[in-house]
Amino acid sequence: MTFKVNQTIQDVHTNLALSLEMAKDEGTKVVGCLCSYSPTELILAAGAVPVGLCGSTQDPIAKAEEILSPDQCPKVKATFGRAISGTCPLFPLADCIIAETTCDGRKKMYELLARHVPLQVMDLPQKPDRTAALAHWIAEVRDAKAFLEAQLGVTITDDDLRRGIEMGNRQRQLITELYYLRQHDPSPIMGLDFINIMTQLRYYVDFERYIRTLAEFRDELAQRVQDRQFAYPDPRPRILWTGLGNSLGCSKLLELIEDSGGVVVCQEGCGGVTRTEDQITLADDEDPIVAIARRYLRVTCACMTPNGQRFEDLERLIDEFRIDGVVDLAWQFCQPFEIESYRVRELVKGKLGLPFLHVVTDYSQSDTEQLRVRVEGFMEQIAVRN
Amino acid sequence: MFAGIDVGSRTTKVVLMGDQQIIASGVIQTGTSPAGAAETVLHRACEQAGCPRKDIRRMVGTGYGRVSLAFVDKTITELTCHAKGCHFINSAVRTVLDIGGQDSKVIRVDDDGNMTDFIMNDKCAAGTGRFLEVVAQALEIDLDALGKLSLEADRPCKINSTCSVFAESEVVSLLAKGEDCANIVAGINRSFATRIGNMVKRLGVSGEMVFVGGVAKNHGLVSALSDYMQTHFLGLDVDPQIMGALGAAVMAQQLA
Repeated sequence: MTFKVNQTIQDVHTNLALSLEMAKDEGTKVVGCLCSYSPTELILAAGAVPVGLCGSTQDPIAKAEEILSPDQCPKVKATFGRAISGTCPLFPLADCIIAETTCDGRKKMYELLARHVPLQVMDLPQKPDRTAALAHWIAEVRDAKAFLEAQLGVTITDDDLRRGIEMGNRQRQLITELYYLRQHDPSPIMGLDFINIMTQLRYYVDFERYIRTLAEFRDELAQRVQDRQFAYPDPRPRILWTGLGNSLGCSKLLELIEDSGGVVVCQEGCGGVTRTEDQITLADDEDPIVAIARRYLRVTCACMTPNGQRFEDLERLIDEFRIDGVVDLAWQFCQPFEIESYRVRELVKGKLGLPFLHVVTDYSQSDTEQLRVRVEGFMEQIAVRN
Repeated sequence: MFAGIDVGSRTTKVVLMGDQQIIASGVIQTGTSPAGAAETVLHRACEQAGCPRKDIRRMVGTGYGRVSLAFVDKTITELTCHAKGCHFINSAVRTVLDIGGQDSKVIRVDDDGNMTDFIMNDKCAAGTGRFLEVVAQALEIDLDALGKLSLEADRPCKINSTCSVFAESEVVSLLAKGEDCANIVAGINRSFATRIGNMVKRLGVSGEMVFVGGVAKNHGLVSALSDYMQTHFLGLDVDPQIMGALGAAVMAQQLA
């Protein structure tokens, strides 16, 4: 298995669209998802294919700004622009979309997106520790299930849900194992290659094949660790990535970090290890909807308050992955991650005394050189300590 | 002899150093050729020092144009260089505020002159030298005259905008209302000081602080910042604009 991804995200989308079209001809349904809060178990239980529709490139933003004001986060604009510009091959294939009220930008954008495709917005309570929050969220998960049943013309039984949970758990288990193989020092894979491969893999049509590919990737990485075949010859500072995630198409900061001599070995936050290590536990007599709801309410996005678990996880991961420095990304105009960054700095810099870099940027390349100064300055701080 | 070259977005600076002291320094506009500007200013500094260029044992490049310097031994960010330069001048310095042509930085420095933390302005030229250039242009006065003029103000205008693009229209509308130039500039300095002062507070002031970079030559702004932050900046006996180049020269000396 080669660790280099030569395809662009557009190629990945186009290839997936071809396979999806064939599957749709044979009756397969497709459901769009936009966030770590999407309970994909419902979609798997319905026998449909979940497809991530989040925008990660600059191109569709101009189109989105014909309708949305420019002062919105690039994810909101790119997601909307992809949908309305007709340039995304995946969007027209979605039979419906499940979305959540994670932040105001998304919530209000979904009102406009709903004009183009059947869309269910799940009302996500943002003080998840309250008992009432869980009760409310359980009701939202039930509504989402009913929405999918109506849109896809299926009935989702409890057995289907149990099967969906089992599938979701297998997927999360494998991805978590993959994340933890980078715990090894030196790492068997560069952070950029890892992210690119994971982006490519998560666009699938056949779930079992997806699981097999994840397992192959895991075995390959494990083999490399065993054979002491590492991604780089000389020691590199080990970086933990937190905040909003990079993926194929918006990885300029990750590229800069690894160009400047670092290696990203752990990700917390959007798309990170904390989004997969938390499994769904289901007692024999438990309502599967309740188990699903409970798990998704534990996701530690900055839209939650006070979100204390994120900080416990960060501290644990910094220790487990023997981290030399922390990079925290917020997309421009993302208020939750931007404000919460103050507390991340307090933890990383204040309590743990590690170099910390907070970056605010968007999907364009315009600030690459300004970012390079910050990244190199951050690496220089690490070099002085080591 | 060692050289430090700081190719900034607006100006290029060079410092030549002997074992313990600055031998020569120079500042010119970067213009359209960063590498050309570096060559020119280096050449002039060598003439000033009366030493041929071959006497330079090592060179370190810094600043946005550092990548264009093919002839340097190493490139280091201006963050580390400012920390080193300020530490060289006064080892009591623990916080450095640097405001240049297109960015502003707050740098934390440890006992050994190492940079231990920093923050910078993001994706916006508010609170940078570029903002002051736009204001000077709108008022049709020399950039260097801005600081002195503001000290003549008797009733500074209230200005909230720190946007470099809108600064011009705000200045023009104040002029249209008949406001005095000195009061406008003093108002501009106050709004600038609020933005930058808050950035410094975000990182936290600890120990002695210096203010460097081209913008530190603006006395009106220095006093507006001291007022807002209720602190004072350590005096420097060298040009604040060459601090990055000085740090680069210090690093050149320390290179193994």
